[in-house]
Amino acid sequence: MGAVESSVPEGLSVPREEVTDADLQALGVNLERDFPGSTAADFRRYPVLSEGGWFTVVKHQKTLESVSRETGPLLGPIVLTSDGLDVN
Amino acid sequence: MTSLKDLDDAQFAELYGSDRFTASVLSSRMRYIVQHMCTGLLNNAFSLILRDWYDFAATISGPPEQNYPMSSVSNSLAMFLGTMSEAVRNTIEEYGPENLEPGDVIICNDPYRAGNHVNDICFIRPVFHEGKLISLVTLRAHQLDMGGVVPAGFSGTKHNVYENGLVIAPMQLYKNDKPVKSAFNLIFDNARFCALLLPDIKTIYQNLLLGEKLILESVERYGAEAYLGAIRYSTDVSAESMSNALAELPDGVYEAEEGIDCDGVDDTVEYKIRLKITKAADRMELDFSGTSPQARTSINAGILDTKTAVGVALKFLIDPATPFTSGAYRPIDIVLPAGTFISATPPDGAVFLYWESTGPVLLAVFRALEKALGRKAVGGDYGSLNIHNANGVLADGTPWVTTAQCGGEHGPWGATEAGDADSYSVVYQANNLDPATEAIESELPAVVLRKEYAPDSGGAGDNRGGAAVLKDTLYLTDAEHWSSPLHTKTASGVGVYGGEAGALGATWVFHPDYKNVTKDKDLIGTEPEVYAGATPVAGMLDPKTKTVDPDGEYFYFASTPVWHTKPNAVFRYLTNGGGGWGSPLQRDPERVRRDVRDEYVTIEGAYRDYGVVISGDPHGDPENLKIDQEATAKRRAELAAK
Repeated sequence: MGAVESSVPEGLSVPREEVTDADLQALGVNLERDFPGSTAADFRRYPVLSEGGWFTVVKHQKTLESVSRETGPLLGPIVLTSDGLDVN
Repeated sequence: MTSLKDLDDAQFAELYGSDRFTASVLSSRMRYIVQHMCTGLLNNAFSLILRDWYDFAATISGPPEQNYPMSSVSNSLAMFLGTMSEAVRNTIEEYGPENLEPGDVIICNDPYRAGNHVNDICFIRPVFHEGKLISLVTLRAHQLDMGGVVPAGFSGTKHNVYENGLVIAPMQLYKNDKPVKSAFNLIFDNARFCALLLPDIKTIYQNLLLGEKLILESVERYGAEAYLGAIRYSTDVSAESMSNALAELPDGVYEAEEGIDCDGVDDTVEYKIRLKITKAADRMELDFSGTSPQARTSINAGILDTKTAVGVALKFLIDPATPFTSGAYRPIDIVLPAGTFISATPPDGAVFLYWESTGPVLLAVFRALEKALGRKAVGGDYGSLNIHNANGVLADGTPWVTTAQCGGEHGPWGATEAGDADSYSVVYQANNLDPATEAIESELPAVVLRKEYAPDSGGAGDNRGGAAVLKDTLYLTDAEHWSSPLHTKTASGVGVYGGEAGALGATWVFHPDYKNVTKDKDLIGTEPEVYAGATPVAGMLDPKTKTVDPDGEYFYFASTPVWHTKPNAVFRYLTNGGGGWGSPLQRDPERVRRDVRDEYVTIEGAYRDYGVVISGDPHGDPENLKIDQEATAKRRAELAAK
C-alpha cells in the first residue's frame, strides 16, 4: 500500500549562457540588419539535440533563429563510466 | 529557401545527382528495402518477442561524410526510430569508420550510446560500392535476454547498469562474413535462452545481407551518385514537410507537465516532466528543464528515447503523411539536461522500461499543443504498457519465460476529430502485433482467460476515447513475476477539445487460496465484490473493497519487487481508458445508444456522462434499446448549466 505522501524533487535544468555584442560580431551578426530592435540580451548559448546530433547553438530566443551551430560532443552531456580510460 | 517542388530540373539534378523521378524511385525503394528486411525477420524469427511482437526495426543511413542521415525507416517499432540515426553515428564513429570492411557486422546495445535498452541490439552492416562505404543498413532487434538479475529483463526494480544486463560497446560481430567467436561468446556467456538467441541472430544477419544486396542492386541500376543524392533528398523531404507543418501552428509558448507514479525503490518520489515548447515561424524548441532527476531504478529512459518521443508526437500530431527520416528533426531543437529520468546517465541511472518514462514525454507534447491544435488535438492513450515479465520451470525442468504477452500491453487510444478511438492497440510510441492467445498457450504454462473492454472507461466526448482493456491470465506452475504498471495515479487518456479523460486502470493478483479457476471450473467475475480478497499490485484503490477509486489509496507496483505465486494464480490487468474529443453533450444520442448496445457505455454512464436517457436491456435485448428524447434534452440542459 502506498505511503501517505510522495514528493517531486527539484528538477534539473540546462543553463543558457548570455552572449555579448562582441560574441555576436564575431559570429558575423549585425543586429540592426539581421535582428532589428534586438540586443545581445535576446540571444543565448546552450546545447541542443537535433538532426545530426548535438550542437552548441547561439540562438535568438524570440525567433529561434540560430546564428551559430557548432557540432557538440558525440554523446552530448553523457559521460560514460569508461570515458577517460586510457587502455594503452 | 526554395521549396523542393519549385526546384527546376537543373537545380534538382545539381542538388541530388539525378532527375526528380529517379530520386523519388530510390527513396521509395529504400523504404521497400527496410520493409523487406523486416518481413524476412518476422517470418523467420524464433523468439516470441520478435515473432509475436514485431519488436524490431530497420533503417538505412548515409555514409560518414554525409553525417549519417537516416533516409528510411521500417513500418515497425516506432520507439526505435528516433534513436537509430544517433545509434548508427555513435557506434560507427567510436568503432572508427576507417576500420570498417566489406563483410562486417558491428553491434552496440548501450542505452547511453545508442538508445533503448540493452536487449535491443543494433546490428549494423556497412555497404561498400567499388571499395567505398556508401551506406549503413541496420536492424535493431530485441534479444529475449541480455543477462542481468531479471530473466528477460523487463523490470523496473533493477538498481544500476550492473544489475540491468550486459552492455556491449561498439564491436565486431561478423568479419569477412564469418562470425567473430569471441563476440558471440561474450553474449552467450552472459545471456539466458541462447538456444533462441543464436538462430535469431543468424536470421538478423541474413536480413542484413538482404538489405545490402538490395541496396547494391539499386546502386548498380541508378549509380552511386543518384543513390547518395536520394539519401539527401529523402531527409530533405521530411525536413521541409515538418517545417511546413510547424509553420501552420500559431506562434507561442506552450507548457505542460506529465509524469509517472514512482520508481522501483518505494513510492515516496514522483517523477515529473516539465516541458516548455517555443514555436516561432517554422521552428520549434522543446525545453525539458525542470524535469525530475533520474530514478533509483530501471524505469529511466535515455536521451535518445526522449528524442524519439518528441519525433513521434510531432509526426503524429502535425505531420503524419510524409515518411519519417532523420530530417524530421531539422527544424526542431531539444533542450534536455543530463541526469533526469528521461535522460539518465551511467552507472546509476539504469535504463530499461524507457517507454514508461517517454510515454509521458509524448503526452506532455499532446497536452502542451492542445490549444494550438484546436480541433486537430488528439486524446491521450492508455499511457503504460503495463508490461508483465514472468518465469518458472516446467515439471521436466525446462525453464520458461513470458515477456509482454500476459500483462496489459494492449489498450485504447484517444479520440480525434475524425472519430472514436480504437480500443485495442499498443501505446502511441509502439507499432506492434498482439501475440496470439494460441501461441501463448502452446508455449507457456499460462492460459489467457479474458480479453474484454471495460464499460464506461473511455473518455466521454463528441468522439469517444477507446475503452480500457481487462485481461486475465492464469499461471499453471509456480512462477515469479515482475509487473510494471507505472501510470495509474492520474489519467493518461487526456481529454481534448472539451472531451473527458479516460478512466484509471489497475492491476491485481488473485491467489489460488482466494479464487481457484482450475478447481472452481469458472472464470473470476468482474463485479466489484470479487476484488475484496484480491492482492493489489498497482492502482488507486479503495483500501477495503480494492476496487478502482481515484480518491482512494495508491498501491505501489514494486511493494513486492518479485511476485512469487503458486500454481493457478491469476493476474488481472485493467488498462487506463483513452481520452475523449469534443464535448460529450454534442455526441449524437443515436451514437450513444449504439455504444450502450455494444457495451462500451452503460445505461447509467449514458445518463451520467452524455446526458442521454436510454431504457432497455443492453445484454439480453441489445437491438431494442430506446432513447427518451424529451428526458435527454432535459438532462443535457442540466449538464450544460453546470
